[in-house]
Amino acid sequence: MSGKLERLERFVDSFSNWLNWVAGVGLVAILALTVADIFGIKLAQAGVPFFRPIPGGIEVVAFLGVVVTAFAIAYTQILRGHIRVEFVVMRLPPRAQAYIAAFIWLLSFILFALLAWQSFEYGLSLQAKGTVSMTQRIPFYPFVHAIAFCCIPVCLALALECFKSVRKAVKG
Amino acid sequence: MSPVTVGLIGIGVLVLTFLIGMPVGFAMAFVGMAGFCLLVSPDAGLSLLARDFFANLSAYSLTVIPMFIFMGSIAYASGMSRRLYEAGYTVFGQMRGGLAMATIAACAGFAAMCGSTNATAAAMGRVALPEMKRYNYNDSLATGCVAAAGSLGILIPPSTIFIIYGIMTEQSIGKLFIAGVLPGILLAGLFITVVVILCKRNPNLAPGGLPTTFKQKLAGLAGVIEMMILFALVIGGLFLGWFSPTQAGAAGAFGALLIGLARRQLTWKGFLFAVKDTLRITCMVMIIVTGAIIFGHFMAVAKLPLVLSEWVGGLPLPPMAIMGVIVLLYLLGGCFMDALALITLTVPIIYPVVLVLGFDPIWFGVIIVLVTEMGVITPPVGLNVYVIKGVAEDVPLETIFKGVLPFLAALLVAVGILMAFPQIATFLPGLALY
Repeated sequence: MSGKLERLERFVDSFSNWLNWVAGVGLVAILALTVADIFGIKLAQAGVPFFRPIPGGIEVVAFLGVVVTAFAIAYTQILRGHIRVEFVVMRLPPRAQAYIAAFIWLLSFILFALLAWQSFEYGLSLQAKGTVSMTQRIPFYPFVHAIAFCCIPVCLALALECFKSVRKAVKG
Repeated sequence: MSPVTVGLIGIGVLVLTFLIGMPVGFAMAFVGMAGFCLLVSPDAGLSLLARDFFANLSAYSLTVIPMFIFMGSIAYASGMSRRLYEAGYTVFGQMRGGLAMATIAACAGFAAMCGSTNATAAAMGRVALPEMKRYNYNDSLATGCVAAAGSLGILIPPSTIFIIYGIMTEQSIGKLFIAGVLPGILLAGLFITVVVILCKRNPNLAPGGLPTTFKQKLAGLAGVIEMMILFALVIGGLFLGWFSPTQAGAAGAFGALLIGLARRQLTWKGFLFAVKDTLRITCMVMIIVTGAIIFGHFMAVAKLPLVLSEWVGGLPLPPMAIMGVIVLLYLLGGCFMDALALITLTVPIIYPVVLVLGFDPIWFGVIIVLVTEMGVITPPVGLNVYVIKGVAEDVPLETIFKGVLPFLAALLVAVGILMAFPQIATFLPGLALY
């Protein structure tokens, strides 16, 4: 059992790390696009030939914003990077801490499971309606589905945390 | 049950989920969604969750957050924090308490490239604390001054708190940034004054360092010049209306990248560190902001901000007295809650009250940042203190909290000065060319 758990944990870690690098590419792309857009706008204003703003640059940057955050949620969770108030719980006995941890990770798991389900449904409705961005006509739904997809490793990481806390609480 | 009662219960449940250690962003999203389900309908609450997540993550106005965080991370990875500290040392180093003053000046300089309190404290702490230890500085003064001066990160632009406040209240981020400049210089001056007073009272706290030559002073100047170039590009660009906030952040990050490459200080490893660091902080901030937006929608249907602003507006008290109470409540709240969570949670509720009382929204943004600065250094949840503890592992937490106290007094003085002279915050934004 514990071997399987460790294998699952290793998979979630490396999967989340991989997604985090996708977010990294999104971050660098936002930087590159925005800087190129600035040069395009300013040089076009100055009358330099061949330079122009990137068409729909703002829309692309906004969608890349989804990539930067959504793809980094799981890895940030693994790093325990989501801010928590720990000073009260830290004063409790270890067993009580483990029970409380199991409860909060269960609540968090429910939140992201609901988010995955609802994002998937929302993405389907946007796809059916054919909702696209104003200038470049980029469809919205792939990015909403991306949020749903990114919730999967988050749910796995939270379920593992919850399971480990329950085991710690039961063993005492 | 009336919507207001449900709203108040919601706040109680939220505080409880904070206290049992649920990540604050998750807790706000969960309670906000549950409250919306209860007050409107389960379908509406569940759909709000997905819609708010997508709307926030894909908001162009929020892409300013990763850009400014990236700028700070690249500046750190390029060794700019060290060069600023060295510049500060050449000016103040040989004076009693000079290293602490140099640290505060360098924090103010680094704050001009970085918009986060803990990043500024971590960046300067790693550089300044070993030096102060080498010169036998009192642990309490050394750690306290970095933890407190690190909080300048959000007052001197760029600033994540100004960005988030600006987005939540629909105020100009550029004007908020500019509004932070003079109060930032004032606060840095007050922090340096604290060091002078402490060293006068007890000269053993901080012995003077070695004098520096003119050549060293000149070399130190290079660290200041690169900071000034970046600051002029970013804040000047915003001030003159050249850049949108996201463009200003990207220009700053690109500028930091070019300086790092030109100085041959930014390695590939350093760049990857900056990317990972930016992703972690951005994700943490964005999840809190999204959670706060969901919770804010729950508060809106509970009509709590409306009821509160009507109630406070009808109180037989002068507006400044009510503002004093608001600041006190923030100070107390900041002791027990993460500063960012406190701001995102309370601004939608308090902001209408502030408008009813007739205060300038830009000025209130500066006040909010000052109380947030207090929140990051007050026990038991002062994040900056934990950051410094991470750098100076051998110093007990109590020692750092004790060291922070005189600087907390300086922050209170700064709030008092700004309440008496709001022009310090509103003068520069009034000159903006847009």
